[in-house]
Amino acid sequence: MPEPVHPAGGATPSSTSFAVVTDHLTRRFGDLVAVHDVNLRVAAGQFFGFLGPNGAGKSTTIKMLTGLLAPTSGQIEILGLDFSTQTTSVKRQIGVVPEGLALFGRLTGAEYLTFVGRMYGLDRETTAKRTAELLDFMQLANEPKKLVTDYSHGMQKKLALAAAVIHGPKILFLDEPFEGVDAIAAGTLKSMLQRMIAHGATIFLTSHVLEIVERLCSHVAIIHHGALVAQGSLAELRAGVEAQAAGGSEISAGSKLNLEEIFLRMVGGTRSAEQELSWLG
Amino acid sequence: MAGITDTPPTSAQLGAIANVRWQVFLHSLRFKRGALELFSWIVIGTIITGGGLGGAIVLGLGAWFSVSEGKPDGLALLLWPVFLFWQLFPVMATALSESIDASNLLRFPLTYRAYVLVRLAYGALDPATLLGSLWLVGIALGIGWARPGLFLWALAVLFAFAAVNMLLTQMIFAWVDRWLGQRRTREIFAVVFFLAMISLQLIGPMLSRYGDRSNAAFHRAGQFANPVQAVLPPGVAAAAISHMASGTTPPALALLGVLGLYGGAILRVLSVRLRAQYHGEHLSEVIGNAGLRKKSEGIGLGWSIPGLPREAAAVVEKEFHYLSRSGPVLLTFITPIVMMFVFGLGGRSGNAAGFLQNWPELALPVGSAYALLLLTNLIYNNLGPDGSGIQFFLVSPASFRDVMLGKNIAHMGVLAGELIALWIGVFLLFRAPAIETVLITLSGLLFAAPINLAAGNLLSLYSPKKTEFGTFGRQRASQTTVLTSFAIQILVFGLAAITLLIARYYKREWMAIVAFLGLAALAFILYRFALTRVDTIAARRREILTTELCK
Repeated sequence: MPEPVHPAGGATPSSTSFAVVTDHLTRRFGDLVAVHDVNLRVAAGQFFGFLGPNGAGKSTTIKMLTGLLAPTSGQIEILGLDFSTQTTSVKRQIGVVPEGLALFGRLTGAEYLTFVGRMYGLDRETTAKRTAELLDFMQLANEPKKLVTDYSHGMQKKLALAAAVIHGPKILFLDEPFEGVDAIAAGTLKSMLQRMIAHGATIFLTSHVLEIVERLCSHVAIIHHGALVAQGSLAELRAGVEAQAAGGSEISAGSKLNLEEIFLRMVGGTRSAEQELSWLG
Repeated sequence: MAGITDTPPTSAQLGAIANVRWQVFLHSLRFKRGALELFSWIVIGTIITGGGLGGAIVLGLGAWFSVSEGKPDGLALLLWPVFLFWQLFPVMATALSESIDASNLLRFPLTYRAYVLVRLAYGALDPATLLGSLWLVGIALGIGWARPGLFLWALAVLFAFAAVNMLLTQMIFAWVDRWLGQRRTREIFAVVFFLAMISLQLIGPMLSRYGDRSNAAFHRAGQFANPVQAVLPPGVAAAAISHMASGTTPPALALLGVLGLYGGAILRVLSVRLRAQYHGEHLSEVIGNAGLRKKSEGIGLGWSIPGLPREAAAVVEKEFHYLSRSGPVLLTFITPIVMMFVFGLGGRSGNAAGFLQNWPELALPVGSAYALLLLTNLIYNNLGPDGSGIQFFLVSPASFRDVMLGKNIAHMGVLAGELIALWIGVFLLFRAPAIETVLITLSGLLFAAPINLAAGNLLSLYSPKKTEFGTFGRQRASQTTVLTSFAIQILVFGLAAITLLIARYYKREWMAIVAFLGLAALAFILYRFALTRVDTIAARRREILTTELCK
């Protein structure tokens, strides 16, 4: 297994230039170590993909980074602030779309966004203006009386993203934002995220859809069995895997590994199906 | 494919479901909360069993007396209360009833028969079914004691009667859930239900008010009702036993057959709903699209409440949106006012239904206490209706103190509205309440409300349970919450009653006001203390909150 790869240049920037830093982040559930000694570095302005097989510790990590779960040990620093002591200051500067979307089903979309804006401390006029703009951008303005509980899954994801950005966060945490979303809604979500990156925000997302991560993210980290196995730019990860395979015949000369291949090599996910499950089909 | 049969055996599927339920129960005991729930269930179960055994003894004695006196027809008088309890208790005590989400089962290759059996098995675990069955066993034993030869027949008839009751409860809930599944039918149902409840409550006062004239009407109604009750399940069951007791076997057998027909007919109506559910029915909340395809015309400004942080004001606004969209919750808010009108409509002296006419000064305090009591349904699980929205509270910079404060203010706003409506009601029905009465009521509420709010805030964090505002029946509150709520109400109402009695004894009402204000000061300190703790508690219990409320 390759050693963790770190950002290009090898120099260690001061922690204030990082949007997210974790030091020895660990979370145990009884005897199970879900996240073990994770040292993440996400530079400000990066579109960062956090990958891992099911049960690897992705959701646990993102929950700790957003305050939904307390770490057993280790430090979290967001935008140079210690999360454990400056929780409210950190929360003001981040936006979150958690796994459960965190919606209030018996409000309309507009009421929900108004509520969220006010909870983030926006004044009434700003909240109303941004709510109208977000509903329009997300194509949710056509059914103003519809309750959130009646929204389709794609509409709910769009609304959750709108709520996560209404206060103009500097970092956006997204847990599986493209799961169960059709191509049209996914297009709207991607367009919103790319706008945010263009305006200097940092985006941290988990996803199982490696093609999307490869297309959107500039940097990636891979977690496996709770431990970080790699992090860096795609080129760095590719170079790391190729270096490991150097001398072997595994990678044909001239071919370029895609993210899926890099991922499978790092987590050891290749398995021959020929000798197993012979009863299938 | 090898190893797979076309039709999976129903018994194996039922066994698997029972096994899963058992494993879920065992796993729940791994956590402190699960053990606490089990303890609460044992306490509540003991109370129910006590009531069941007491009822069984009383009904058994009644059955023994009826049969040994040669009046087995009188068994109908015992079976009717059992029947009414069996059907009405699940509606009134929804917190104690188990619910089932059928959609979870439908992804498996479950046969329709297996699906029906699972639904019926869940129904059999209902406290009403357990109590009703226990009481019928008492009646059967009473009959057997009076006439041993009649015991087995009585057992068979009462078994059929129990099956009819169980099926009827299931049928009622299946249809009620259907009507409540869509907004339009829900509104119609709520109005019909409300009118039915008022009509029932009005019977007593009307009979009292119109005195002898109503007695005559009552007799006429009785003459009409007797043959009607005789053809309904309790009357049929009583007649089946009565005929066998008098040695006329063929009519007795025929009546048992009638009970069977009732069971079959009810099962048939129930199966209309179960088949629809089995075939994946989805009841959407969406109103007709025509009315909705209108682009939003400007977004309204959020609420601003002077003196309140904007986060708390936002929560107050959100709570009012939620409350205004729940017909069942709104019904509970107006119930105290309706009940005051019912009890205030009058009657003769000494009649319970008209007692407020005899003691009109009690109307405001009793109505207010009742209003607060009903409100505890919301106060004691105030995060339940938010569901996965709890994650938002946890990731947002707003403090839980503001969240709880907003919820508390919204609930107290409802209580204030009810108080004003009650005052107007008392004014219209009797006379303007004396200033002394108003002050006693307000000071009493100033004592009782903060205690309930403090306990409610803590219990909402310690024992959360996801609930759905739009659903009427069968929502389980946490058993720990139910038990703690009982204890707190006993304490608060006990203290209030003692205070009032002492003041009355000395004929100095102002003493009660002073005492209540003193208690209110203590209650407010307690409330403030609890409110300062909620952020720490929420942070410590965030995993449990998200696990329970995001289910």
